[in-house]
Amino acid sequence: MMPLGPAGGLPAALALRIGISAVTLLAVRRTNAARQLAFLGSAIASIVTGMTAAAVLQAGSPVHGVLLVHEASQFALTYTVDGLAAWFLAVLSLLAVPIAIFSVGYVGQPHFNRRSVFLGVAFNALLGAVEIVFVAGDVITFLFGWELMTLAMAALVATEHEEPASRRAAYLYLVMSHVGTGCLIAGFMTLSVASASLSFSTLLSGVAVGPVRDGLFALFVLGFGVKAGVIPLHVWLPDAHPAAPTSISALMSGVVIKTGIYGIVRVCAFGLGVPRLSWGVIVLALGGLSALLGVLYALMQHDLKRLLAYSSIENIGIILLGLGAGMMALAYGRSDVASIGIAASLYHVLNHAVFKGLLFLGAGDVVTATGTRQIERFGGLLRRMPWTGLFFLIAAMAISGLPPLNGFASEWLTFQALLYGFRSSTQPLVHFLFPVGGALLALTTALAAACFVKAFGISFLALPRSREAAEAHEAPLVMLAPQAFLAALCVGLGLFPGLVLRVLEGVMTSLPGLQPRADMVSGGLGMISGFRAFDHVAPVVLGTALLGGAAVAGVLAAIGARGFQRAAERAERAEQNISADQGEGVRGFQPGGEALARLKASRSRRPRRVPTWGCGGELSARTEYTATAFSKPLMMIFRAVYRPTRQVEALAEVSPYFPQEVRYHSEIEPTFERYVYGPLVRRVLRMADGMRVLQAGSLHAYLAYVMILVVTMVLLVWWRG
Amino acid sequence: MTPAISDALPTIGLAMLQVAGMLAVAPLLKAGIRRMKARLQNRQGPPLLQGYYDLAKLLGKEPVRSETASWVYAAGPRVYFAAAVAATMLVPVLIAAAPLEAAGGILLLVGTLALGRFALATAALDTGSPFGGMGASRDMTIAALAEPALMLGLFTSALAAGSLNLGGLVRNVLQHGATVHPADLLAFAGLFIIVIAETGRIPVDNPATHLELTMIHEAMVLEYAGPDLALVEWASALKELLYLTLLVDFFLPMGIATSASPGAIFVALLAWAGKVFLLAIAVTIAESTNAKLRLFRVPELVSISLGFAFLALAIRFL
Repeated sequence: MMPLGPAGGLPAALALRIGISAVTLLAVRRTNAARQLAFLGSAIASIVTGMTAAAVLQAGSPVHGVLLVHEASQFALTYTVDGLAAWFLAVLSLLAVPIAIFSVGYVGQPHFNRRSVFLGVAFNALLGAVEIVFVAGDVITFLFGWELMTLAMAALVATEHEEPASRRAAYLYLVMSHVGTGCLIAGFMTLSVASASLSFSTLLSGVAVGPVRDGLFALFVLGFGVKAGVIPLHVWLPDAHPAAPTSISALMSGVVIKTGIYGIVRVCAFGLGVPRLSWGVIVLALGGLSALLGVLYALMQHDLKRLLAYSSIENIGIILLGLGAGMMALAYGRSDVASIGIAASLYHVLNHAVFKGLLFLGAGDVVTATGTRQIERFGGLLRRMPWTGLFFLIAAMAISGLPPLNGFASEWLTFQALLYGFRSSTQPLVHFLFPVGGALLALTTALAAACFVKAFGISFLALPRSREAAEAHEAPLVMLAPQAFLAALCVGLGLFPGLVLRVLEGVMTSLPGLQPRADMVSGGLGMISGFRAFDHVAPVVLGTALLGGAAVAGVLAAIGARGFQRAAERAERAEQNISADQGEGVRGFQPGGEALARLKASRSRRPRRVPTWGCGGELSARTEYTATAFSKPLMMIFRAVYRPTRQVEALAEVSPYFPQEVRYHSEIEPTFERYVYGPLVRRVLRMADGMRVLQAGSLHAYLAYVMILVVTMVLLVWWRG
Repeated sequence: MTPAISDALPTIGLAMLQVAGMLAVAPLLKAGIRRMKARLQNRQGPPLLQGYYDLAKLLGKEPVRSETASWVYAAGPRVYFAAAVAATMLVPVLIAAAPLEAAGGILLLVGTLALGRFALATAALDTGSPFGGMGASRDMTIAALAEPALMLGLFTSALAAGSLNLGGLVRNVLQHGATVHPADLLAFAGLFIIVIAETGRIPVDNPATHLELTMIHEAMVLEYAGPDLALVEWASALKELLYLTLLVDFFLPMGIATSASPGAIFVALLAWAGKVFLLAIAVTIAESTNAKLRLFRVPELVSISLGFAFLALAIRFL
């Protein structure tokens, strides 16, 4: 397995990406070849990364190295692949390989023609940047990777830059990311001054003390929270995801926003010393807020990719719920309980990458086939795109937390973390936050199920709602095979959670102050959270039971069908006897042609097909239940959150009682955009306006500034010296 | 035969017996409640065996499906049925251990039932009939609202007993003996409301109506016919029996057999039947004395249940 040792794997992957990008740019005229080279090469580089990660996870010892040395200053960009980094790298490669292969087909569509080379290069740049972020061993490397990632993402979001919406999304993303990066730079500078080092190994060993820690925690949560899309820092996310090409959206949701989670785990949970209880509470609260509001907003979206984007916010919330519970347990010194929470969040990072990646790829198929992202214009796609539909359904079930798929496994572990946190906590009152978190998680999961019944059912079932949907065609194999792989992962990671936990055990023991209980990972197939058999789960057993139940259902239906056939035959015979008695025709003993056909039809095991009752009218796309109608009850129930407005307009010519046409328009209030960011932006603009006095365009004034600055500095030096 | 398989044999046998028994009793519960309700309204009511007649009739009918529907439509009732059967194996009924305790506890049970609901709601959207969508939408809405209250109610009892594993929970309750803690009463009241909501009973849903303004579950399965419908009906009945058994297990498991002796199991059978009968009476009374709530009033009912669960938790652990 190791032609490249783990030590050389990562630089090799990065070098490969740079080389591929260079060759791709040289081959820019031969679009087809360049595209295939860029994406297939990126898949190979991701496999190399994945092998490095696997080697580190297997060996359990970190790999250190140097990416680049600046000769003159002897300054080196270093990297470290430890357990945590290897876990995130493994997630990256598991998702990046199928996405790269999908992209070979997806980016080959005619309308990407001239952009496919750009997409290939930017795809590699983005993945390389994320890899650097995960493995950075010092602040400079980290910030370099972080900034490269931000820029590559912004460029990718603006792929369709002739659309104003895309430009706006990219701009918003850049602005918010840079505010976040500013927070990170401030935090890292404070830490490096305190530790007199730029290396993460000393910088993140709890050098800060006192109230500075709280300030640092706030800075890092802000900085990483923007990237992760934590509510209320999420506003860029639902705009950026639909604007980017689908394979990029999948990567964004699956991997790129996880860099924020990586940062929070690396720095906030384990880099600033033992976390304080209040930090855990904050992370838990942010998680609960993001999870609930994320899914509530997702329910109201009718743009498939926007819906998936909001659902990513929800899943980031679930990840943070586990992490927050873990941090709270760390704060009161229960490393065994903390490891359940951390394991839950890391497990969900993997699961979300897999099922959300799959959902985005499926959405990509659908959008390619129909040319629209509006759920209300899909319908009946399962008949036209059977494989895409099947994979989308599997992912929808996984994201709804249904056993025995993978979403259930990590949500189960999150519940365990919350319940154990409650049991083991010694803090009065604060420990009631755990069951509140549990109730929120239950509500979120159930709402997610409603959301994905809608997303799948309205898109893929019943009659097509538009001509585009009626004329849709299945995607080619190169786009379907990666989805099959991810769907298999959804099932496999759900059926064998014990194996995942075994890998996670290595990750957790590599984190400072974390010690999972031995019995937590003892099972191969199931999960035990330890503690006197509090609870355990073995999805394989449930899967078998479900198969058994389905078999019983099948047997019952078969018995019923046989009974019906017998009855039909009896009726047939009776009819023949009657006709024979009546002496109709000479061939009285032989069944007539028509009767024989009917008998055969009833004997064939296929059920009779009849049209659906259309309530007396004609059944058409217009009588189907729409996505808007499906989510209407929840909109009414949560109207305090949505604050919906609606306009009903009846256009009548003769009398208002006989409208010719009714127009219905309903929208929900963008609370955060309107009440948080609106005033903020206005205030910033007003301040900028005020600053214009300083920058008035007068050369004399600028010269005076320079003069004042020089004099001040001379004075300062003189006074100090 | 490897030892692992021979060890698993008694478990498999017990699971099959329990499923067969529960499947056999389930239609009786539904018809029984209908009959008691009729008696309260001074009507004769259907015979007790009506549930079986209905199932036999439906199973023997020609399978008919909508021509707009895909395979999801046929898969819906089967997954729903399979989920109910699998859930039955996770609950202790007569013996203080679930047959399939190896699979998991409360969280897995709730997840399994959610799987069935997801399958049926998705399938309901497949015919293109507006009724299916209406039912699916309402069913998922109410389930979403009920879920946190259900979980919190279950957690309160489970945390008090120190186990999320249903068998372990029952054994712990038995060990500590019956103590009527006020928290238990509150948790029971909260969970009873949720059971009403989840099984589609008045005041949340009306199982006896086909009026589009009021129906939820019936709207979802309106297009189903023949054997498909029989599977749905049977699984629904099984689910209802399961919820009542769950209430029994949580709050009054006394009488359940702790050994496999025939005498103990006979006693357990009588005790279980008696307790489920009492709960069925409670459900009947709740159905007969309440009017169906408007859909948008259901959240209020559910939040009462959520409040009960929180109070129970606070009383228990503060």
